[in-house]
Amino acid sequence: MSEYHLLLPEQLTLSNVAEEYALLRQDIRKARNGDTIILDCGRLHLLDSAGVAMLDQFNSLCQQRELRLIEEHCSADIGKIKELFHFSAPTSKKHAPRPSFFERLGQRGYALLGHLSEGLFLISNIFYWAIVSFFNKRLRRQGEVIRQSLQIGLNALPIIGLIAFLIGFILALQSAVQLRQFGANIYVADLVAVAMVSEMGPLITAIMVAGRSGSSIAAEIATMKVSEELDALQVMGIDPLPYLMVPKFYALLLTLPLLTVLANVIGILGGMIIGVTYLNIEIIPFYHEVISVLRYKDIMIFLVKSITFSAIILFTAAYFGLKAEGGAEGVGRVTTSAVVASIFWVIVADSILGLIFYFVEPVF
Amino acid sequence: MKEPLINATHLNGGYGQRLVLHDINLHILPNTITAILGTSGCGKTTLLKHLIGLLPPMEGTVRFLGEDLFQSDEKELNRLRNKMGVLFQNGALLNSLPVSENLAIPFEQHTNLPREMIEQLVRQKLHLVGLSSAYDLLPSQLSGGMRKRAALARAIALDPLILFADEPNAGLDPVTAKSLDQLLLSLKVRLNITVVLVTHEIISIKRIAEHVIYLHEGRILFDGSLSAALNSTIEPVQNFFTSD
Repeated sequence: MSEYHLLLPEQLTLSNVAEEYALLRQDIRKARNGDTIILDCGRLHLLDSAGVAMLDQFNSLCQQRELRLIEEHCSADIGKIKELFHFSAPTSKKHAPRPSFFERLGQRGYALLGHLSEGLFLISNIFYWAIVSFFNKRLRRQGEVIRQSLQIGLNALPIIGLIAFLIGFILALQSAVQLRQFGANIYVADLVAVAMVSEMGPLITAIMVAGRSGSSIAAEIATMKVSEELDALQVMGIDPLPYLMVPKFYALLLTLPLLTVLANVIGILGGMIIGVTYLNIEIIPFYHEVISVLRYKDIMIFLVKSITFSAIILFTAAYFGLKAEGGAEGVGRVTTSAVVASIFWVIVADSILGLIFYFVEPVF
Repeated sequence: MKEPLINATHLNGGYGQRLVLHDINLHILPNTITAILGTSGCGKTTLLKHLIGLLPPMEGTVRFLGEDLFQSDEKELNRLRNKMGVLFQNGALLNSLPVSENLAIPFEQHTNLPREMIEQLVRQKLHLVGLSSAYDLLPSQLSGGMRKRAALARAIALDPLILFADEPNAGLDPVTAKSLDQLLLSLKVRLNITVVLVTHEIISIKRIAEHVIYLHEGRILFDGSLSAALNSTIEPVQNFFTSD
């Protein structure tokens, strides 16, 4: 059994504990089980909380290595400071056994089922209140649908117009190169019109609105949830769904199809610019080609898609907004989730509707 | 006589062009508990922001340890700020981080301590404020009183010379408020920390304050000991203390 005599410096404070701790560790590097370490505090006259933490840490280290630690020549003042700040870390807790693969799978499945049932419950609730509010004037907030429509629709006009124009422009440009080789320049009009009306117009508009308005709805609801505003509404006897969600639902149902019409028109205009300037097609033939290629079915496709996308954006924003917990961080998290989920479901719905309309002619 | 820790002279302060504080002259002596009080909107929090170097004065100076806070460069100001601890009204804990990470921030940013020692210090500070069990919790999982205690633990992380507390008892029940007062008092006694409270909680002031600065419409109306404040004949001060 060996004995190591270590002399502590005059001060052990935040400014030097890191270096002193490294030195102490170095000094006991060669010590073996059962050896004695004597810490001489004789010179030490300045100690702060970091110094005490270092001594506690050194003590734990000695215990781990089964070394006997003796502190000597500590003054009364130093003793008081040590007593004040002394804290021995609890022995490491026993962790619960890690769940097995099947347990984890079951937990995931159960959680997914929970989310699904909550989502369906919320959707049915919003639908119910949307129908009831339509017939019951008292449940509607005066002017709220208009206000929300302006916020969701009017303010989004410039950005959606610009994006639609660029999409139509690029579509025409990319297809023009190919069609020109076959002398089929005029079919650029057909391609742009069908692509914009039945696919790109509704999809791009929905993605833009999900990013712009879906996020703002989710953040608004989430903020109201974490600041107990929703609880306040409930205790006043007001159901937050008809009061907050239904006007937004109506506004989305109203504005998204209108924005899509605008996106379609501007997108086709973008294509027309390429047709006129690059492919030398006259404006009138281009216009006639667009009108002739668009069928009743294409108009129905974009309408059905727009209405479906409106519902998806609203339900996703409401679902995630109502799930918010904590503070600002919780609001940020659900807002991100709402945007990602609504864009995902919009694309899924677009694919499903695309498939359905490919095989089925609308009956109405 | 002891050198004051903080000295504000001819301080005019406020936000933008809006003057809130007029010709403030005060000094905070070491190892005392000073309460800055007054009715709502009198400029208490604005004064606190000037004293901790967050808001530059329109005129006048604020000196901490003899150095002008607003003449110091960023590095120097940060060195001075390390000697201050601030307990904000709502705790101002970072909600995305667990309590332990919140407390570790000052150590990670201002020291080169190894990770295990930072962990030891974090546990030590939490133990000191009676919150050992909150180590892994998120601030949103804490009650109002616990959040204040966690914020206090963060404020005293680097063993500051002075602790500023903005409305420490606001929104707390009387029992929690009393225990927080006792904690502040014990920090002053055991760690020799100077405490500056911004408050309008009369019970709390009577319980722990030694020195009182009374603000009225942005001006200091009274500056003296607690007993002198309680016996003051100045009408707003008298009204304030007789309103409980």
